[in-house]
Amino acid sequence: MARVVVDVMPKPEILDPQGKAVTGALARLGFAGISVRQGKRFELEVEGELTEDRLAEVRRAAETLLANTVIETFNVRVEELPEASEEEEDEGEPAEQGEPAEQGASDDQGESAQRGESDDQGESDDQGESANQGKSDEQAQLATQAG
Amino acid sequence: MAPRIGVVTFPGSLDDQDALRAIRLCEGEPVPLWHGNDSLDDVEAVILPGGFSYGDYLRCGAISRFAPVMTEVIKAADSGMPVLGICNGFQILCEAHLLPGALIRNDVRVFVCKDQDLRVESVDTTWTSEFSRGQEITLVLKSGEGGYVADEETLRRLEGEGQVIFRYLNSNPNGSYNDIAGICNERGNVVGLMPHPEHNVDALTGPTRDGRAIFSSVLNFLAAKV
Repeated sequence: MARVVVDVMPKPEILDPQGKAVTGALARLGFAGISVRQGKRFELEVEGELTEDRLAEVRRAAETLLANTVIETFNVRVEELPEASEEEEDEGEPAEQGEPAEQGASDDQGESAQRGESDDQGESDDQGESANQGKSDEQAQLATQAG
Repeated sequence: MAPRIGVVTFPGSLDDQDALRAIRLCEGEPVPLWHGNDSLDDVEAVILPGGFSYGDYLRCGAISRFAPVMTEVIKAADSGMPVLGICNGFQILCEAHLLPGALIRNDVRVFVCKDQDLRVESVDTTWTSEFSRGQEITLVLKSGEGGYVADEETLRRLEGEGQVIFRYLNSNPNGSYNDIAGICNERGNVVGLMPHPEHNVDALTGPTRDGRAIFSSVLNFLAAKV
């Protein structure tokens, strides 16, 4: 079993109203100077060995359905899975915090939203502009440790 | 015998019944078609109605475009059968590459629902022959992802070849390039538009009866063919 990640982004010349809305919301929250374009991430669990042919097939799938190449670009990459049992593999995303095993689907979403936030703040440390700096540092550290 | 016009119902279609009704009011024979069938039931024209087929998952029209009935619709369109996509149907036609370009979220970032003024830019299609060129009409527009986009070369071609059929008038409600509200393919048998002609066929339920000309155009075309 291999995991292939397909990232889909709106082409640069195409207006991205969702990204604009997020950009505006960030600015209102005090995260200045951050411009967002919003895309999609697909995680594909591919059965069997990931040969070149199989990867080419995944690319065809991405081009056929996952992305509309009239307005979007896509990128296909193979994600290394950590050596672990199946269950852990399922949660083996890079930013996973290794919380207790009570993660329902909705928990997952909540956490990944948080994590996304903390990651962003972690990266924007240099700018030192966040009022929640202390907290976000902690979160970023947590994420780093877990990742 | 009145020409048979099919209306495809996808899971999540909303305006299929209104489209069937519009056909009946304009004296065609409405034929309900099911997305999961691979037969067009001997219809002479097909309408893909408005709504949120397959929940608009992935992208509007992206999954419906691969519904079994679409294989037949694409085949029929390629052989010249009149095909009309209204709103979600327009999105499906773009996803199916029967029409160029794509529809993205409104630049105003809200769902727009209004009586929209339009100008008819071309009457050289099977769906618009009963209009007059430059005619100004009003149709209901109700969509969240009605922004028409295409690359510059496609836009130039559409404008140059008279494939822009309807243009938003007075104000652009959704950020569509060149104020484009509806287009057709090179042959003129496939037309897609965001506003809803099927909601504008009688005085009781619509702001105008301007939508009737769409249905009478294709009915006259089909009657003349026989």
